[in-house]
Amino acid sequence: MLADTLLIVFISICTALLSEGITFLLVYRTETYKKLKGEVEKQSKKLEKSKENVTGQESKGQKKKLERQEERLKDHSRALSMVKMKSMFVIAFTFTSLMSMFNSIFDGRVVAKLPFVPISWIHGLSHRNLMGNDYTECSFIFLYILCTMSIRQNIQKLLGFAPSRAVAKQSGGFFTQPQQGK
Amino acid sequence: MATRRTTSKNSKEEEKVAKLPSVWQRALTAKSQWPEKDDLLDVIYWSRQIIGIILGIVWGVIPLKGFIGLALFCVINPGALYIYFTSFQQIDEDEYGGVWELTKEGFMSSFALFLVVWIIIYSALYFD
Repeated sequence: MLADTLLIVFISICTALLSEGITFLLVYRTETYKKLKGEVEKQSKKLEKSKENVTGQESKGQKKKLERQEERLKDHSRALSMVKMKSMFVIAFTFTSLMSMFNSIFDGRVVAKLPFVPISWIHGLSHRNLMGNDYTECSFIFLYILCTMSIRQNIQKLLGFAPSRAVAKQSGGFFTQPQQGK
Repeated sequence: MATRRTTSKNSKEEEKVAKLPSVWQRALTAKSQWPEKDDLLDVIYWSRQIIGIILGIVWGVIPLKGFIGLALFCVINPGALYIYFTSFQQIDEDEYGGVWELTKEGFMSSFALFLVVWIIIYSALYFD
C-alpha cells in the first residue's frame, strides 16, 4: 500500500513538472506572454491604487477614467488567457491519455487508508472502482487529486510561475468577495 | 520637476527596502516592517504549508481519526497564523484587504498537503 501511495505522490510531482514544462515551452518563454504579463501586472497595481483612493465623491471624469482602466485590464487579461489557451489544450490532451493509463494501472486497487470517512458526495471519487462498502479505503484518483492540489501550486510558486496576487485579486478568484458597486 | 521628485522618492523607498533585513529575519522578528506586502503574504503562505505538514505528521502518528482531525486543522492552522500576524507582527489587516484575505492565503493548498501527509503517515503506520 505504501509503495502505491508514494508512487502516486511521485506521479503527481512529475505531472505537475510536466505541465509547467509544457506551459514554459509554449507560453512562459514567448515574448507575447512576457509583454502581456507585464502589462496586466502594471495595470492591476495601478487599478488597485486608484481604487484605494476612491472616496465616493469623484467627479464623472475620474469615474470614467477608472472604468477605462478596468476595461483596459480586462482586455489584456483576455489576451493573456488566449495566449495560455494553446498550452491548456496540449496539457488537457496529454493528461487525458496519461490519466486513462494510470486509471487502468490502479484499477480496483486500494492505494491508502483514509483516517476519516469522506462526506457522501465525495464517495464517488474516494471509492472509485473499489469493491465493498468500506469508505475509508482510498482510490487512486482521490489521492492523485489531493496531491496535485497541494503540489502543483507549490511548484508554481517555487518556480516563480504563479500569477501575481494583484492580478489574481483583480480577476477575482473562487473565494474573492464580489466588489460592491458604488 | 514632478518626475524628478517622484524618481527621488522611489529611489529613497528602494534604499529603505534594501536596508531592511532579509525576509526570513523579518519573519522571525516581532513587529517587523513590511514595505512589500507580497513578502508578508509569502511568509504566511509558506508558514501555512509547513504547519500543514507538521499537523499531518502529528495527526498520522497519534493517530487522530475522523471529523475531529479535520476540524482541529481548520481551527489550528488559521488560528496560529491569525495570532502570528495580529499579535506577533501587529500589522494593519485592512492594508492587506482584511483578515479574510490573509486567512485564505494558501489555505487550500495547505489543507490538501495536510490531508496527503495525514493519509500517507496513517496508512504507512497502521495499515501496511
